[in-house]
Amino acid sequence: MMEEVMAIANSTAFWIIACIVVGIVLFQAIIFMRIAWKSAPDVGMSSNDVKTAVRTGFVSSLGPSFGIAIILVSLIALLGSPITLMRIGIIGSAATETGAAEIGASAFGTTLGADDFSMEAFTTIVWTMCLGGMGWLLFTALFTKTLGKSQQKIEKKNPKVMAAVSLSAMLGAFGYLISDQMVTSFGHFSAGGIALIVMVLIMIFAEKVNIAWLKEWALGISMLIGMVTGYFLS
Amino acid sequence: MSVIPEKVINERVERTVRPTTVSSDSIGVFHQKAHFWGRTTLFLLIAMCFVPPLYLSFVLDAHPGWSAIITGLIGYASFVGIFWVLEPITYYPTLGVAGTYLAFLTGNIANMCLPCSAAAQKAVDAETGSRKAEIAGVFGIAVASITNILVIVTIILSGTYILSLIPPAVESAFNFILPAIFGAVLGQFAYKKPLYGIIAIIVGMAVLFSPIVGFIKIALTVGIVIAIVLFMEKQKEKKVVG
Repeated sequence: MMEEVMAIANSTAFWIIACIVVGIVLFQAIIFMRIAWKSAPDVGMSSNDVKTAVRTGFVSSLGPSFGIAIILVSLIALLGSPITLMRIGIIGSAATETGAAEIGASAFGTTLGADDFSMEAFTTIVWTMCLGGMGWLLFTALFTKTLGKSQQKIEKKNPKVMAAVSLSAMLGAFGYLISDQMVTSFGHFSAGGIALIVMVLIMIFAEKVNIAWLKEWALGISMLIGMVTGYFLS
Repeated sequence: MSVIPEKVINERVERTVRPTTVSSDSIGVFHQKAHFWGRTTLFLLIAMCFVPPLYLSFVLDAHPGWSAIITGLIGYASFVGIFWVLEPITYYPTLGVAGTYLAFLTGNIANMCLPCSAAAQKAVDAETGSRKAEIAGVFGIAVASITNILVIVTIILSGTYILSLIPPAVESAFNFILPAIFGAVLGQFAYKKPLYGIIAIIVGMAVLFSPIVGFIKIALTVGIVIAIVLFMEKQKEKKVVG
């Protein structure tokens, strides 16, 4: 039964859909880089700054991208390659998609990989994933404008407040995320702690000696050292 | 895109007006374009999301019945539904308008988009929350989005062959990538304001261990840290004035 499902899941039609989705993601990224590039001079970004930002984005995203890729393998066995590509390429993570797959399968009265896992069960999973993942897309499509307007209102009243809110929202989010990770195991604790310390040292050093490129690599380097430390101390 | 006559006019106006306007107007133009393209791409993607299930149900005739689909959706919504609303609001202050459209289309916000946005901002010495930071962040996220999708496509097309080349030691080191990313990002922001960084971790730990429902914990931490920082900044201002 499962082979039949996988044959359809890996059929040309789904590859075409996956390609279109990937195309939309690439198109959006390129169009936003274009409009950002046009506005860059007005916010005091030189073309050198633009290059720096692009390089930094690239270097910093390599680690996370491979981290994401390693987890997605577990999904390929469940969903086939094209749907995995489509789900991971847009909003969604291996964890939520696996959850969606389990919920979808049980809604049809079966379990993943069971003998009676049918095309209909698979279809239920795809409905659950595709419509369930749409929640974020719909909310951001409809309400980002509203969020932008509230920001403008706050800025009109007090332009300095937004900078403080922005900084503390970042600190708050990552303060929670790192706490959540660090209590998992000693390896996680040391990975997070060392990455934090290495980052602080790199930033202080880069500023003292004025090495610009070091800041571009700061996230990549501290992430790597944190990971290796976690591995050896666990 | 400059083939569209409207756009051309827009750009011309923007260019001729540019020298006399303050920079806040040009960021307004940027936001307008960001809303337009952000919404267009998101709605396109939303439409695409309907294609696979409709195709399976009605072209391949594998329709499982609406009751199974609705049961599945309700089950899923009760598990993540609250994040549809909480996440965009929680991350908006750091992502900004364009960053929100980019990050929520490509996903992996906390583990990729925000770190890359922050790194790009720091690399060009932009002050958090400034216009320059917003634009630099857009470059960071957009490039990350492209890199990420290319890495995923390569790995899937190679039939995970590339992943099988990775030695097991390296693969287990990747178990620690999340704490390493989060620690590094926190360090990037805390090194100038160590006190705020310490407050963020203390609040994070306190919220983590308090007996409240899991899904509001991150938003609650963000809210508390914003309140504390704003309060402390106000006290500072008073001291400067007094």
